[in-house]
This record gives sequence, structure tokens and C-alpha cells, in this order.
Amino acid sequence: MLFNSYVFLFAFLPAVLAGWWGLSRWKPLRLAFLSGASWFFYAWWDWRYLPVLIGATSVDFLAGRWIAASTSEPRRRLLLATSLATNVGILAYFKYAGFFFDSLNGIGRALGLGAGLPPLRILLPIGISFYTFNSMSYTIDIFRRRVEPTRNVLEYTTFVGLFPHLIAGPIVRFTDLSEQLKRLTPRLTSETASRGMFFLSCGLVKKLLIADQLNPYVARLYSDHGHLGLLSGWAAAVGYSLQLYFDFSGYSDMAVGLACLLGFRFPQNFNSPFKAVNISDFWRRWHMSLSSWFRDYLFIPLGGSQRGGKRTVLNLVVTMFLAGLWHGAAWTFVVWGLVHGLFLGSHAVLRRAGWTPSSAALNRALTFLLVCAAFVIFRAPSLSVAGDVLSSMLGLHGLDASAQLHALVPLKFALLAAALLVFVNVAPNTWQIRLKPRAWQGMAAGVAAAIAVMTIAQPHPFIYFQF
Amino acid sequence: MKSSQVIAEGGGALGSSASAKAEETAQASQRRFVGGFLGSFLAVLAAVLAFNVVVDPLALAGTGLVPTAVEPDRSIKLDLIQHLEHGPQILILGDSRGRQAQPSQLERLTGHTAFNAAVTGGSAPEAYVFVRFTADRFPHQKRRYIWFTDEGLASGIVQPQLAQDPRARRYLPDVPRFGLGDVKTYLSTDATKDSWRVFEKCMLASCHTKINYNADGSLTRQSLRFLPEHAKSLRRSIAARLAGVRANRGTLRQARQDLSLPGRFAYLDRMLAFMNQRGEVPVIVLNPLYPSVLAAEEKNGFPTHRATMEKLAQLHKRFRFVVVNCEDMRKWHGTKRDWSNASHVNRANMRRELRYIVARSDGVLH
Repeated sequence: MLFNSYVFLFAFLPAVLAGWWGLSRWKPLRLAFLSGASWFFYAWWDWRYLPVLIGATSVDFLAGRWIAASTSEPRRRLLLATSLATNVGILAYFKYAGFFFDSLNGIGRALGLGAGLPPLRILLPIGISFYTFNSMSYTIDIFRRRVEPTRNVLEYTTFVGLFPHLIAGPIVRFTDLSEQLKRLTPRLTSETASRGMFFLSCGLVKKLLIADQLNPYVARLYSDHGHLGLLSGWAAAVGYSLQLYFDFSGYSDMAVGLACLLGFRFPQNFNSPFKAVNISDFWRRWHMSLSSWFRDYLFIPLGGSQRGGKRTVLNLVVTMFLAGLWHGAAWTFVVWGLVHGLFLGSHAVLRRAGWTPSSAALNRALTFLLVCAAFVIFRAPSLSVAGDVLSSMLGLHGLDASAQLHALVPLKFALLAAALLVFVNVAPNTWQIRLKPRAWQGMAAGVAAAIAVMTIAQPHPFIYFQF
Repeated sequence: MKSSQVIAEGGGALGSSASAKAEETAQASQRRFVGGFLGSFLAVLAAVLAFNVVVDPLALAGTGLVPTAVEPDRSIKLDLIQHLEHGPQILILGDSRGRQAQPSQLERLTGHTAFNAAVTGGSAPEAYVFVRFTADRFPHQKRRYIWFTDEGLASGIVQPQLAQDPRARRYLPDVPRFGLGDVKTYLSTDATKDSWRVFEKCMLASCHTKINYNADGSLTRQSLRFLPEHAKSLRRSIAARLAGVRANRGTLRQARQDLSLPGRFAYLDRMLAFMNQRGEVPVIVLNPLYPSVLAAEEKNGFPTHRATMEKLAQLHKRFRFVVVNCEDMRKWHGTKRDWSNASHVNRANMRRELRYIVARSDGVLH
């Protein structure tokens, strides 16, 4: 079920809100209802994968309790390893096994040994990368004694399964929600309702009126990768960067808004990333819940930036390599992660040497161009396609023929992209808007949401659903 | 000291009442925000739905107050057949590509009278309805048929504008009714744009369609400018089509899957069975593609064409018909300039194509 579908907006959401607030006197019943509704939401896509979600949730709940109860360090380590192995094992099987087999076969063919392994085609359960990371952070934090485990299984199932973040984040930590789950909001206040509706309408507008409108132009540009010139190459790179930003930040806004309507507060996931003045600033603003997850559970345990320049660069490259791989089992994501690792490493070195430009505008422009170029690798279906687009951006395929440019970069697309570029550089983000609710603002948000809903006829899934 | 304490307490009380008042005001404005949001959200959607149902641009609700945005050519051509004095000996069927075919030219080539029943977006359901309607209107008369179609061959989807016509409905057992799916359609921006176009046209000009037909179903005007398939720039239309071909590189497996969708060939099967029962053998024409578009398709292996030919071979085991493949214009000596867009030939090329069709139809049109 997609957030941007009629069945979600007009059937599932009203029913869940009615049930959740209707049961406000009975906490266990409320949590059971919300967990059940979230599982129903998940099973709508494919019920056969619901046991995977429930299984991972159960293992981590028990592991968390036993880790906290145990005083023996080896036993605690064993329990943590079991929890991590379960989550990483689920990810490895469903997400990476096919890629691993294909890569081995590719190496075999390159060495003249032929393809020895049968091709694996396993359907990727939706949201698997998000809920396994949610769950892992719980057991790791308990192991580090930063979090007290919950004794209430319903609180835990609600934390992992909560439908607003279940399939595409934000990657919420237990510390973000534990107090909220203990003390559930007793009634829907006008403040949370107005905030929720505001975020929801911003998300709908970003996704349906912006990202989905860019999609056909971007798809056409990437499918025509062999015929792109300098301008159409850049149009492909910038167009996709904008599409991805509005798609994913639109999803995050909707998630925050839906959580608000249920009385929960989610952390911020985007903070105007295209205003970043360097690549490390970009990662503090883009998909913040994922980058902070990798920072806290991988980069810092590896030694972070405390062990000298070379080790910092290595840690950054390793972290970003795994962050790239997290996005998808394909060489494009691996290379994209490595490229960002190199960007971050280079930036760390240049900053230490004092060689970064002093002009904020220049820094911002450079960061944006590097990010856009890297997103080409992220979007391309293969490295050769990415190579085609990147070489056209460097002018290696010359300028575009006039008719081709008209077909690939119509005026409407060019104007929309230009307006959005100004918008992302100037306008405040959803979290920066200090809402002082007025009736007319509510009406404006309602009209905008209604117009967005009118474009749902053929809903496009959110880009991050595939991860 | 005492008095200052009293003032302080009084001030505190005043302060708390002021903050309570401010909170109350804030809550009231938040409630108005929520009310405004829900009210305007639902009002806009309700207004859009009501507007689209009243205008009914896609003929889904059957309101019939104003002409539909989609061409009413199905009803027009049923009217024309109803008013014919003599049954046509050749019936031209198919989509907008076939609409260019002139019955008078066919009469010169074959010596048989003809009627053009090809309609915009026409597929197997339309062809079946026209075949049955003409047969019922002029019983005891054998007929020849030319059916213009493209790769993909047939659709089993009954277009609402066909289903809304009571004369056609007789032949369509599974007529779609206005349901939740149609509510979804009529909440969409596309349908609203269509409604607005119809509304604007009816308010500012006349509610009549610009496309007019002669008594034999042919178009009254030689010019193509008023046809929806006309492109302002042939070059741009071809570039856009080429980009589309490159964007949708399908596989043979996908193409076969598309052709094996349940119900897709239900009306085609019925039509061919009906014709063969009456001893009639239709000519199925695969529509031409602009040379560079065809070349791009062939470069990809043209899986839809291959799957279509396989399907035709399967159908040949059960039905009698003749296939004339006109996809490559070199076969029928077409020219590159006589195209209205990348997939539609103009009248001059259609004349060349018709000569080829008659010559290659194994005599069934003679």
C-alpha cells in the first residue's frame, strides 16, 4: 500500500486514526491495534513476507531483554551477535544473495570458467533495509547500556512496525520513541493535528506535484543515455537529483505528518541538503537518520576521525562503501558509495590542509555539482549507462542536436527544473516553517493536498521503497 | 512587603490567565486550521468529481449533457451505417490509421462498395460491434473486411464511449458500469482537463465535433490539421517517438506475456468466428511505422512484432484470414513526407498502401 494511493488516504488512514484515537483509554489494546494495522499495511504488498518482519522483531525483542538481564560479557556478546546475525542474515539472503551469485558468475565467465552457480531471483521484501536497521540499533544500544529494553512486547512491535516509517524510514531509534510509547498521547490535540496535516500536505505536494512530474522526463533521458549531449546530460543529472530529493523528502514529510496524526514525533530526515557547503555538510542534511546510523554504529566504532588522517579517510571510504551497498545490491550503488567515500575523504584531507575555498557560494555550487554527478551513478541501471551520462556531462559527446534537445528536454521540464533549483536554494524546508495556524492556511494546505491527490490516477512508488 | 507580595501574586494570576487565554486562542486557530484543511480538501475533491460527472468527458457516467472529450466517432459511424440504403460490400475496420482509407478508392480498385468504420483508438471490441451491427442491419449479405491494427494486435478493453451507445451495448456482454474505478478516474487531473476542454469549447464555441464524415464513413476534409493525430512538427514527433522506443525496450518474453493477458483476444476471437461462420475471410493489416522508428524497433529485435506474428500463427490454426504486413513502407512505395506523425500516414500514402493491400489480399477483396 502506498501513501500516495486512494486506498491508503481514503480507507486505511481514516480507519486507523479512528481506531487509534477511539481506543485511547486502553493502552495495550491501542498498541495491539496499531501493530496489527501496521502489519496489515505491510502484508497488503505481499503477506508472505510478514513472517520475516515478525520473526526479526521477535528475535530482537528477546535478544534485547536477555542482553540487559545478563551480567556475563561473553553471553552478552553472543546474544548481540545472534541478533545482528539474524538481521544481517535476512538482509544477506533477501537482498544480496542474488547479487553475490551473479557477481561470482561474472568473475567465473571473465576467467573462462563459465557460470557455475544457478541465478538466484529472490523478491526483495519491501522495507527490509529499514526495519532491520531499526531493530539492530535497539540491540546495539542495549548492549552499550544506552537504552533500557522495553518489557512490553507491544511497545516493541509498534516501534519496529509503525507503518509511517516501516517501509522507507526515517530510521527511528528506540530512544526516539521509547518515552512516547510508554506515555501515549491520550487525545489528538488541534496542535498535533494541524502539524500532521501540514507535513502530510507538504509531502503529498512534493511527491505528487513535483517528483512524479519530473519522473517521465528523467526516465526518458536515462533511457536515451547513448544519445545525450552536454545539455541533456546535465539535465539528466540535475533532473534526477531534484526528483530524488522531492520524492524522498516528500515521503519523509508524509511519514512525519502521519506519525503526528498518531501522536508521535519523528526525527528530521532532511535539512535542505542542496544548501550544503561541503560534502560532509551534505551528509549531515541528506537522509539524516541513515547517515547518523552509519556514523554511530560503524564510522565511530571504526575509530572515526580520531586516529589520524589516513585512518579517517579509510574509515570514511569503508563507511560509505557499506552505505552504498545498503541502498541496493548492484555495482552502481557500490561505486556511488565509494565515490562519496572518496569525496568525504578528500574533503577531510583538504580541510586539514586549509585548501578548501573560502567562498560559501562557490563551496555550495561545487558540492551541488559533485552530488548531482554522483547521483548519476545512483540512478543509472548499469555502470556503462552511468559512464555514458557522465561523459556527455563532460562534453565528450558534443552538444545536443536541436530536435533531440527539444524531444529530451522540453521547455516545460527545463522551466520546472530551473524553478526547483531556485526553490531548493532559497526556500526554507518543511521543518523551518514556523506554523502559526490560521484558517486560510489550512484551506490552502487542503487545496494543495487535494490537487496533489488528483494526480494519483497512476501512483508511482517512492524511489526509496526499492531499498 | 505585604502589599508588594499581593501585587506579585496578582501579577502572577494575571500572567497565568493571559497565558491561558493565549493558549486558548492558539488552540482555536489550530482548530480552524484543521477545519479549513479538511473542509477545503473534501470540498475540492467533491467539486471536481461533481464537475467531471456532469460534463462526463470520457462517457463513463452516461450523463450525456454535453459531447464527450473523446471523439464520438463510434456513435457517428453507427448512425451512418444505420442510414445507409445498401449494405457495404467491404467494411473498413480498425483505429485512426485506418480512418484515412477512402471507400471510393477501394471501389475503384475492387469494384465493390465500401464503408469506413475505423475509429480513433478502435480495437477488437469496436471492430466486433461494427461487424455485428452491419450484419444485423443488412442481413443475408456476405461482406469483405479490412482491419487496420498494429503490433499488439487487439485489446479486450471496451472503451466507455462505445459501451455508452445502446446500439453497441447489445453486442457487449461485459459492459463496464460506473464504479469506484471510475470515481478514481473522475478525480484525476487528466479527466478534469478533459472536462474543462469540453466545457470551454461548449461555452466559447459550439458543442459540435470538428471532425466530420461523409456518408461512406470517410473524412470530409483532405487536411489533417484538425485530426488529433496530426503533429505540428513531423520531425519532433519522430524524435519523441524514437525516444519512447528507446525508453521502452521490451523483451520477447514481456511481449508474449502482454499478448497472453486473459480476455485480451475475447472480442477478436468472437469476431473472427462470426466472420468465418458466414464464410467471410477478413484481411488483417499491420499498420506502417515511420522508417526510422521501424529501424529503431528492429534494432531492439522488435519483440512486440515477433510476439504478434506468433499470435497470428496461433490464430491461423483456428480461423481463416489474410495478413498484409504494411509496417515497412518500402513494400508499398510510401514516401517519407506523406506522414502526419511517426505512426500515421496521410491520405497520399494511404492510397499507395491500399493499392498494396488489395494486391496482396489473396483475392479475398475481389
